[in-house]
Amino acid sequence: MSTEQVFDLSVKASLDNLRKIRSYIDQAGIRLGVSESALGDLRLVVDEAVTNVILHGYGDADGMVELHMEGDGDAVIIRIRDHAKTFDVSHVEAPQLDTALKDRPFGGMGIFLIRKMTDEAEFIPLPGGGNEIRLLKRNAIQSPGKPA
Amino acid sequence: MATLNIMVGQEQGNVPVTVLRVEGDIDAASHKTLQDKASELIDEGASNILLDLGGVNYMGSAGFRALHAISNKLGADDDSGLSKSSHLKLLNPTDAVSRVIKTLGFDVYLDIYQDRDEAINAF
Repeated sequence: MSTEQVFDLSVKASLDNLRKIRSYIDQAGIRLGVSESALGDLRLVVDEAVTNVILHGYGDADGMVELHMEGDGDAVIIRIRDHAKTFDVSHVEAPQLDTALKDRPFGGMGIFLIRKMTDEAEFIPLPGGGNEIRLLKRNAIQSPGKPA
Repeated sequence: MATLNIMVGQEQGNVPVTVLRVEGDIDAASHKTLQDKASELIDEGASNILLDLGGVNYMGSAGFRALHAISNKLGADDDSGLSKSSHLKLLNPTDAVSRVIKTLGFDVYLDIYQDRDEAINAF
């Protein structure tokens, strides 16, 4: 059953590992039976979330990022943990879609995409330090997953 | 390392058009390669750019920051409001990339074409 399948990855928080992380999402998603459309969304939101951890959480510091992905019925749950400083995303404004491009601020697109392409996105500071991003996407699994 | 291959061609439509055929994933590790290449071409005189995204399987928000910067640099003297850029157009994005283009509202700013000749003659 797809609900019994769990996929974990721990990698150095580096932009050079983004491709590897997207590949991990693809492989785990195929095993879980995630639809092509939902898999594209998950690949994007995880890339955006990890990019934020690297650029705004760790900054110039070294660290690891841990990813966990599992199915729950037709939903996919992803948890991304880091040991970086907490970054407050609540103040990040959505892009101004009705504004001329030359007048649009550059930032905010990553957080906007994460919220837009998931059903739930929580950014949680952990008591012992670091952060966890919890993502939930419903109606993502279209067929029973293949055995690991 | 993230690699992005960019092939540059010159075409003549109604005006000269510089075509950038991009291959690879455009993410936070690679978007500067595209942005810097386009900036270099604009500095050398390119004023109309067609970005061929047919070889791009993935483009995240970093790629759109690059498009934003390229559009701004091309249209710095063009107060076009919400109208589409007359200097930057997109060719043949994949379905996945098209979905992000629409989600971020970039289809409001940039014309998107599936046919290369039609795109070149649209400048």
